Amino acid sequence: MGNCCDSCCGDDANSQSGEVTERSRLLEDPVSNNTNILRVPSDDFLSRYPNSMPKTSDEQSALNRILQETASNVIDVAALDSHTLEQHEYRERVTHYTQRLNGIAVMQRWRSPPTKVCLLADLPAPEKLLSTETVLPTDLQTMNYFMEAASEAMSNIKVEHKEDLVVPFRIP
Amino acid sequence: MVEDMNKYLRKLLSKIDGLYCIIISDRDGVPILKVCSDDSPDKATRTSFLSTFGIATDQGGKLGLGKTKSIICMYENFQAIQMNKLPFVVTFVTSRDCNTGHVLALEAQLEPLLPVLRGVVGDT
Repeated sequence: MGNCCDSCCGDDANSQSGEVTERSRLLEDPVSNNTNILRVPSDDFLSRYPNSMPKTSDEQSALNRILQETASNVIDVAALDSHTLEQHEYRERVTHYTQRLNGIAVMQRWRSPPTKVCLLADLPAPEKLLSTETVLPTDLQTMNYFMEAASEAMSNIKVEHKEDLVVPFRIP
Repeated sequence: MVEDMNKYLRKLLSKIDGLYCIIISDRDGVPILKVCSDDSPDKATRTSFLSTFGIATDQGGKLGLGKTKSIICMYENFQAIQMNKLPFVVTFVTSRDCNTGHVLALEAQLEPLLPVLRGVVGDT
């Protein structure tokens, strides 16, 4: 504030003395005087700290950045466009993925992760399984009978030797 | 091998009653791995449908609630569950009365597969 007054008084002194310098005003309007007064310290500040104040281009880019950020944060439902791939682009990408997938699969020798052995296995729909009717005891007996018979038949399978498997050729 | 990956996905598919389809695609909806049962609805497996997740995720992130992890859509006849595994989108299509929690629990079992697939979409 003191600086403002000083510069104002100094200019007044110059104008009163009638000397025309580069700092003397053309108009003696108090309003313009005030604006001039206000500019002086900001000019001083800029000359003193040139890097601290944003330049015009920086200011513009900052404003643009704010605008872009705001635009990207707005959900504009009407402007949502579903980016649909062209048919050829889709085909190209599918082919590319298939090739890469085959290459990577061969290279890395991917194996499915080992399943943990657990007595309590996952069932797709336990309620369906639990709500089914139980097996009748007679059916169970029949099944056991056939299974035992099949097991016995399997155990009785024997190779019946009839002729030699290795036959010597008569090479002259 | 790719067959092993498909076999693994098919095994996951058979674990859950009413799960019709598992698709691992890129964010534009181009499928990388896909296993479907006969009951799978054709329209829910199209690229145009799968790619909507990417758009919805982008916009959903602006709500200030964090990153979108999964989107569950329940229709009259089907459910579509999509998981954010960028650069992949994992889509499950199920029947309307399928247990959604079971499907969400498959996420952990898909994890071993995704690092391998990351190399597939790496350069695109």
